[in-house]
Amino acid sequence: MGQILSGYYVYMLSILVVYIALATILHAQFGLTGIANFGLSAIWGFGMYTSALLIVKLNFPFVPAVILATVLTGAVSMGIGRIILDLDSQSVLVGTLAFLAIIETLVISEKWLTNGVMGIGPVNYPFDIGTYSQFVYFLILLIFTMALMYYARKLESSPPGRLFLSIQDNEPLSQSLGKPTFRRKLFFFAFTSALAGFFGALAAPTYKFLFPKYMGPAITFTLWIALILGARKRIFGGLVGILATIGLFDVILESVVPIPSRYAGILYNSKYFLYGLTLILVLMFRPSGILGEKAKSLNIANTGKIHKMEG
Amino acid sequence: MREKKLHLKNVMKSFGGRKVVDIPELTIGTHGIEGLIGPNGAGKTTLINLITHRLKMDYGQILYYANGNEIDISNKSIDEIARLGMVRTNQVIQDFQSLTIRDSLLLSLAAPAYENFYNIFSERKLRKTVEQEIERYLEYFHFENPDGHALSAGEKKLLDIIRCLALKPQVLLMDEPTCGLPQDLIDLFIDLIKRKTVEEDMTILIVEHDLDLIWGVSENVYFMAEGEILIQGPPDEVRRNETVVEKYMGEGIA
Repeated sequence: MGQILSGYYVYMLSILVVYIALATILHAQFGLTGIANFGLSAIWGFGMYTSALLIVKLNFPFVPAVILATVLTGAVSMGIGRIILDLDSQSVLVGTLAFLAIIETLVISEKWLTNGVMGIGPVNYPFDIGTYSQFVYFLILLIFTMALMYYARKLESSPPGRLFLSIQDNEPLSQSLGKPTFRRKLFFFAFTSALAGFFGALAAPTYKFLFPKYMGPAITFTLWIALILGARKRIFGGLVGILATIGLFDVILESVVPIPSRYAGILYNSKYFLYGLTLILVLMFRPSGILGEKAKSLNIANTGKIHKMEG
Repeated sequence: MREKKLHLKNVMKSFGGRKVVDIPELTIGTHGIEGLIGPNGAGKTTLINLITHRLKMDYGQILYYANGNEIDISNKSIDEIARLGMVRTNQVIQDFQSLTIRDSLLLSLAAPAYENFYNIFSERKLRKTVEQEIERYLEYFHFENPDGHALSAGEKKLLDIIRCLALKPQVLLMDEPTCGLPQDLIDLFIDLIKRKTVEEDMTILIVEHDLDLIWGVSENVYFMAEGEILIQGPPDEVRRNETVVEKYMGEGIA
């Protein structure tokens, strides 16, 4: 029993669950509010590295390190948000992508602090109950991810959720109804980014050793592909999208299906090709994502319309 | 006569060197319903955009009077001005594609305290508080399917007006509200806003090309041309004014 509940499968499931959390955060930021965050993996990585540095370099206990990493991620995101969130979505995209490039470069170049591409660690589980540690930790990740999805679900049919949708649809109109849209967006961005940092800090013991590639652009792009695949406006869009990408390609194909080792490299390299192909097929046949319902086709027809205020 | 709601001083706006609005002095809101007329390009919509700060003035000052206070709104943001009680309806159709008609009204009626990102459990309370009011609007205007999206241009235009009325503004600026609405709906909302100006001390400024409507409902009319308010007064006077006839209505019509 202990054998099954530890090792590679639990590791993959843990990573899967954390990615589902990240895709759900992207759903809240982009699907709901329209913030095109292309730096999510760096925000996540910021939380991950901050907690790891606190634990490894400064001997912080695990829980305070996670809390501090979460708060710092939120504060940094607040700073970024202040600069870019009142710009149009292309600029937000470029701004967040630039943040990703900066953070990744810093993590690689500042070897004295992060050990560069050699990786930093070890970050151990906060408890030790033998072979079950990994599985119990997976359960903790699962519970937090479910809590996040519950929040996203409640949010969708609540006054703030409605406000965020209105900001995405037509921010000037929302503003003209007296809604302080910039402030609302800023706080929501900082909060959800802090959550991404929190999940980064939580994920650190699962990886044990952290490398810059864990937060690189490939992660952000995978999250985006997953969310668009699943349906960006649906709560389970992130979950379905992650299962259809990482779940299908990284977990099932790589570990469950017996593929001769000489083809394994090809499979790894063709992963993004397959992601792309899946994305194209979904966009061709179900443009609002796997979960996007047909009844919403009316909305899709309208999304291309540019809302321009007169004057 | 009522207390004035707005006082504009030396308000100036030009685009590329061309003066679009140039108003040395103007008070608005001394009557329940006022009309703003003028030929295309006179600067009517620009003036409304300046008042609600959707556009920035080149210079000038706009004072707003609410509950006995004088507030300088020259540098306030669009949303601050709306929260102070001055809102505007839109000339071009504006809507939220993701929100149903009912959701749109819920959005409009939700007070700021409901809308923090952590207020995810406040939906029931909000609905309870504003349900009756929403029902009143939905019944009054007989929307076909209040839980669906506004479909026709008319429905969207009407929803835009109701969203603003639901905010119970002190000053409502309406930019061509009748454009695209069928006559029976125009009658309905005109009746409603007339009532509101009496019951709720609301002041309304209507920009319209439908002059019959302006002569019919306004107590005071401003005539604007080439960025300036040339004439103002009771509708009967304004419609007989030579300048208005010459510059706007064309001879032989009045």
